[in-house]
Amino acid sequence: MDQKFKQLVLDNSDQIVEMWLKEVESLKTENYTSSISDDLFESTNREFVNVIFTSVKDHGSTKVVEEFSEKIINLGWPLSYITDGLQAFRKVTIDYLLKNSDQVDSNYFSEVLESVDRWVGPLIRQLVNEYSGSWEHIVSLQRVALQELSAPLIPVMDRITIMPLIGTIDTERAKLIMENLLEGVITHNAEVVLIDITGVPVVDTMVAHHIIQAAEAVRLIGATCILVGIRPEIAQTIVNLGIDLGKFPTKSSLRKGFTSALEITNRKVIDVNGKSNTNDGNSDGIESLIDAMKQGE
Amino acid sequence: MRIPILKLHNYLLISIQTELDDNTAIQFQEDLLNKIHKSGSSGVVIDLTSVEIIDSFIAKVLGDVVTMADLMGAKVVLTGIQPAVAMTLIDLGIHLQNVPTALDLEQGLNKLHQELGE
Repeated sequence: MDQKFKQLVLDNSDQIVEMWLKEVESLKTENYTSSISDDLFESTNREFVNVIFTSVKDHGSTKVVEEFSEKIINLGWPLSYITDGLQAFRKVTIDYLLKNSDQVDSNYFSEVLESVDRWVGPLIRQLVNEYSGSWEHIVSLQRVALQELSAPLIPVMDRITIMPLIGTIDTERAKLIMENLLEGVITHNAEVVLIDITGVPVVDTMVAHHIIQAAEAVRLIGATCILVGIRPEIAQTIVNLGIDLGKFPTKSSLRKGFTSALEITNRKVIDVNGKSNTNDGNSDGIESLIDAMKQGE
Repeated sequence: MRIPILKLHNYLLISIQTELDDNTAIQFQEDLLNKIHKSGSSGVVIDLTSVEIIDSFIAKVLGDVVTMADLMGAKVVLTGIQPAVAMTLIDLGIHLQNVPTALDLEQGLNKLHQELGE
């Protein structure tokens, strides 16, 4: 019976394709493919239907399907295009087979359904697998990329290192941060570590807990940890949540943190010209500007 | 096995190079306190660079030693705690709150100098 249906479908493929194309065209607006140009849509549809028929004929020739799905994925078309298309094919084929039979009883009907399902089922499974496989691949690549970015440690100068944190901190990342921090302190022989949380959007109890733990661990191995980059809203949340950060020093900006790091290591920044250092950099700028103007006159 | 305690001028140096078991730790505690008493040292550096594991009991003993030595007028600094050890201690909830620490022996001695104002 299956062979008979198959022969029927293959012999009348032109009609079925026409019906299918009409069906898919009507779905175009619904499955996010509306932005695609008509020509491309048309040609891809043709290819898709060819793939379907080849698959039906050879009973699951995987190579064609693979190539096709790869192409669709690269084009960035949604998965719904594939599933909708196959559903449409199922519907159209069943319609056609039932319409072109002399007598239809429940037995015949179920046999038609079963045959068509047997053709379409594996196809759907394979295409969906290809799709989800490519998604999983992308996710895993991104996870690796994220991990590489998650806990950098910068030895800015002798005995002082900085760890700038950007983005949300979860337990896994916190663990990585602590490991990198401690290893880095040992390798760089750091006396002071600055943890910069300017780029951390939210500090909740969990994040605070992890940061406190990291700071404690840093203290245990014999260095000092300064938390810098505490924005006003972060300070508010920390106090409102009742988190006690009193045990280790905090500073509002990396600059202030760096200054106190220098103090801890008994150093300071000195202007080479012998003027007193920093802070009045602005007035210096104005003075030089005025000088330049005078020369211009 | 007993842990050797070395005297250097006014300080005592201890480098722990074996895995500490409970008895060794207790023995060490007694030895150190006796030594402090005998030598009248004002500073102690305990170096833990080659210690890979510290459990909660050892941590407690070390914390106690620091407090006890403090009572006897000797400042104690722990040096060279390994990252893995530090992480385990924090995970166990042992923060060694009142114990001064330093990165290595050199910085430990510097720290003692500073704290004792010499």
